[in-house]
Amino acid sequence: MNLPLFRSASRALRYLLAAAVSLTALQAHALPSFARQTGQDCGACHIGSFGPQLTPYGQRFKLGGYTDGDNRTLALSAMLVGQFTQTAKDQSEAPAKHFDTNDNAAIQEVSAFLGGGLTDHLGSFAQVTYSGIDRKAAWDNLDVRYARPLTFQGKDLITGLSLNNNPGVQDPFNTLPVWGFPYLGSDLAPEGAPAAPLLAGGLETQVLGANAFAFFDDRWYAELGGYRSLGHSTLDALGVPAEDIVKASGISPYLRLAYTRDVHAQSMSVGMVGMSSNLEVDDTGRTDRYRDVGVDASYQYLGTRRNIFTVNALALHESQSLSGSRAVGDAEHSNLSLNSYNLNAAYYYHQHYGVTAGYFATNGDADAGLYADSSSNRPDTRGETLQLDYTPFGSESSWMAPNVNLRLGLQFTRYDRYAGGADNYDGSGRGATDNNTLLAFVWAAL
Amino acid sequence: MLTLAAVLAAPLAALADAERGADVFDENCAECHSVASSLKNKKGPSLFGVAGRNAGKIDGFHYSDALLASGIVWTPDRIDAYVTQPKAVIPGGKMKFDGIADTAERKDLLDFLAEQK
Repeated sequence: MNLPLFRSASRALRYLLAAAVSLTALQAHALPSFARQTGQDCGACHIGSFGPQLTPYGQRFKLGGYTDGDNRTLALSAMLVGQFTQTAKDQSEAPAKHFDTNDNAAIQEVSAFLGGGLTDHLGSFAQVTYSGIDRKAAWDNLDVRYARPLTFQGKDLITGLSLNNNPGVQDPFNTLPVWGFPYLGSDLAPEGAPAAPLLAGGLETQVLGANAFAFFDDRWYAELGGYRSLGHSTLDALGVPAEDIVKASGISPYLRLAYTRDVHAQSMSVGMVGMSSNLEVDDTGRTDRYRDVGVDASYQYLGTRRNIFTVNALALHESQSLSGSRAVGDAEHSNLSLNSYNLNAAYYYHQHYGVTAGYFATNGDADAGLYADSSSNRPDTRGETLQLDYTPFGSESSWMAPNVNLRLGLQFTRYDRYAGGADNYDGSGRGATDNNTLLAFVWAAL
Repeated sequence: MLTLAAVLAAPLAALADAERGADVFDENCAECHSVASSLKNKKGPSLFGVAGRNAGKIDGFHYSDALLASGIVWTPDRIDAYVTQPKAVIPGGKMKFDGIADTAERKDLLDFLAEQK
């Protein structure tokens, strides 16, 4: 992983600062094994007939432990992402070994999934990914889920437990960073946001969490859980690079509450999320504390499914107590805050042709130690992303349905501000718009 | 002339109802049910030719015990009652649907389903 910015921060901080990169790059899920199991079209579960944005039906399939459907088939799927990345100006150094400073093409990732029901009430969404950028394989998203449908006071109740490796990967909505737009990013582009709250992928594949959840009356969702870091030897065996490993001290509690309404032609949700974590500062015996709180909302107009419109919004606030990093000289101040905002809207025509526009912003307190590579010592980043995509398959009558799906896309990201400034943000003359990125991708699922 | 106009208008009105019914079907039913003539089963059984059919008779679909024991024949009245409140008509059935409350929408849907044969 390339980290041209904030190289002076501790290992834990560096990983957090770069979390947004890996997060956007690795989001990619639309599993034909689910479709084979349920007999459904891809479009029954996914907006635009391709993952990961879930419809209300897809959300309930996930909450039900990936077990719905009568066809017990081999729960295996595969995915491939190929891409071409161009930035407005050459990057200061190559984004990865074997690649150039601009105009890179790559097989970004090849993934295998165990996705579907394992028993009547137990199912999995487990992913292993080979990165064509790093040229290594590692475990990826994991959500093994046990769920029971019950009745309480005459109303439906789904309760269950999720074992997962990334806070938010178990969430059924489309707003948290794990499942937020852009659903696919480039591993060969500058970081989407050079600093991000911990909930935006900071603990991704570094932890195991157990989350109990309940979904009552098709409206009320509550989830409570905790995450614990895995040992270095375990993470090494799972393919997590040693330089990326972050260790949380003790249990990191996680809370999610949401209210949703599905009236067939439309649906909406509002909710909140929170997590607190103490991260060890390398091997110093000191810790930093991160407390994340977020609010989110979403709306879907589904209608006849011929014209679909969606909006997703998320605001995250992080309070950082960096006494550990300050003591070792990595941070100037003990108490900082970081905020991030995401808003996106999508339109899909006949489930095949899509356009999505997104706005993202991160801002936070200045710190000469933490953001030493920013000429203004700030993390502030702001921009917009526009994506056009075409999904030729995914319908009931599609070729090889439901065993093959494909999305072709063009994505342009414009930066108004980057790492604290619009111009010369790094002290070397580089401007925010120099990082503007064009990504062309082919995303296939079997 | 009025009589002739009425005779001509009647099929057009029925067609319009079925067209609206197709939209009702797409909004509420198509995620889980197909009306393709190939009798494709999705999460729910094929609804091609459902009008007048005995319940539980589509090959290859795993019906609930409750539906198999219901003895229902899918006449327009029974479809209408089922679509209004599925769990009241077949307690213990598998269909996870909370019903269509609007009478006009259900009528349009019935007109559409009657044409799927």
